[in-house]
Amino acid sequence: MAASRRAAVLLLTVLAGAMVVFFAMKAAPGDPALSALGENARPELVAAFRRLHNLDLPVGEQFATWISGALRGDFGRSLTLAGGVPVGQLIAGRLPVTAFIGLYALILAGVISMIVGTVAALSRGTALDTLMTSFAVLGVSMPDFWLGYVLVFFLALNLPIFPSYGFVSPSDSLPGALLSGFLPALAIAAPMAAVFSRVLRAALLEVMHRPYVQVQRSLGLSSSFVFLHTIFRNALIPYVTIIGLQVRYLLGGVVVIERVFGIPGIGSLMVDGAFGRDYPVIQACALTFLVIVLGTNLLVDLLCARLDPKARGR
Amino acid sequence: MRRALRSRTLVVGLGLTLLTLFGVIAGPWITPFSPTEMDFIAVLTPPDMTHWLGTDSFGRDVLSRVLSGGRVSLFISLCGVGIGAVLGVAAGMTAAWRGGMFEVALMAACDLLFAFPSFVLALFMMVVLGFGLHNIIIAVALAYLPIFARLARNLTRTLMHEPFVQAARLMGQGGGRILLREILPNIFPTLLVQASVGLAFGIVMEAGLSFLGLGVQPPMPSLGVILADGREYFTRGPWVLTMTGLVVSVALLGLNLLGDALRDLTDPRLRQAAGP
Repeated sequence: MAASRRAAVLLLTVLAGAMVVFFAMKAAPGDPALSALGENARPELVAAFRRLHNLDLPVGEQFATWISGALRGDFGRSLTLAGGVPVGQLIAGRLPVTAFIGLYALILAGVISMIVGTVAALSRGTALDTLMTSFAVLGVSMPDFWLGYVLVFFLALNLPIFPSYGFVSPSDSLPGALLSGFLPALAIAAPMAAVFSRVLRAALLEVMHRPYVQVQRSLGLSSSFVFLHTIFRNALIPYVTIIGLQVRYLLGGVVVIERVFGIPGIGSLMVDGAFGRDYPVIQACALTFLVIVLGTNLLVDLLCARLDPKARGR
Repeated sequence: MRRALRSRTLVVGLGLTLLTLFGVIAGPWITPFSPTEMDFIAVLTPPDMTHWLGTDSFGRDVLSRVLSGGRVSLFISLCGVGIGAVLGVAAGMTAAWRGGMFEVALMAACDLLFAFPSFVLALFMMVVLGFGLHNIIIAVALAYLPIFARLARNLTRTLMHEPFVQAARLMGQGGGRILLREILPNIFPTLLVQASVGLAFGIVMEAGLSFLGLGVQPPMPSLGVILADGREYFTRGPWVLTMTGLVVSVALLGLNLLGDALRDLTDPRLRQAAGP
């Protein structure tokens, strides 16, 4: 019951999001046909362009055509790229790249924050804690695209193993992709790692003083067992929740970083679309990002339910 | 010890924020150079005693540009977050007070906006509205509106049944008056914390949009425009991008520390409610 309700809400959200994306774009000033073909285009050409992109239909019908196509992965044709390449094809080709960079950044942020957060919590009040916590505040204050450049400048130019520009697709060579994606992923991960480690530190400190932990300690269980099995596990719930909330910001970082490093993902596609006022591309990209966020939220909720014994019973 | 640490955060955060404000407001009087005047004898000079942050490819003083660009960026963020906060808080408080369909609809709309990555939403708005200064303000406002609406609604709900609100009701005060006079002063500190963190993210958002060329358009300097400029000749003059970003990071550090300190001072329990 709860699952079907949840699925219905999810579907309605996607539908509402699609409507917002579609009608907001329609409200944008300017004629897409004229902006794609030029102000002085011949009237026959403009008419043909309008027919090809369904722009001659009433708006309601345009939406119906668009949404029913979108459900099948058909988002219309690009107004600018390669003489009208199908947008669905563009998205399908670029989604794996964005997924790779996003996951890579998420894993880096996860690993860094696990170390920083745990060390800071265990050495609470010492100089090490202050150092780690300061790094965390600093990390969240640096614009990620700027950090990307600085990393390239100081790392890629001195350590030639990291390329400074360009990206090897994971389907071509996984080691190449891991290497060429490292600096971009690190730039996206830094602010995330800062937020995650602060949350993990706070959560660990909070759980450490709960009664059930003291009971386990007093029963003589080894402190490493108590830490790993009880404290860490319980602290993971807020940690996973914040990761879910931060995916929105992570994807924002992905958009800029993809463009900065010349990575052919959904983000750079959307920016290219924005410059060309390529409405079908922008609509499809925005909708794709929406679906990624909603999917992640669902995943996080399921994960939290598994982690939290109290939520499991419900 | 904790108290000392906390006040140290407050002191450092407030100090850096005031320093930023001072630099941005008093910029023209601090540096002897104009942010737009070109000097083709001093093209791309590295930082030295005359040009503290060096000069760019037109021989313009980077420090002067950062200070005047900072004013533009701060103005955008301040207006954007301000508009988002006022509208969001008004909507959120009204929703909590009236309840019913209005509340359900508003929260659903917030959830929907919240499901788009905020930068993607801003990027989308820039395409719909067109590039430029005024439209970034609207984009930032729209990105913050759901955050403030949700926060204000949740905070108002927790206070609605408190005795002092009930008392005001029994005295026959109207809804608008209770919301403004009784509830708003109580939730204001938490909203202020959110706004100070929001201000930092507004600056990053402007910088990101303008960096991509989708925001403020040159020749008007903004932090994003200067960073984008520095990217053009990064290998010949790396200090333009590096130094500008460093100044931005210090300014954001101040705002973030200030937000942290204020958050601790207001209510530690609300730490989870107010994301960035």
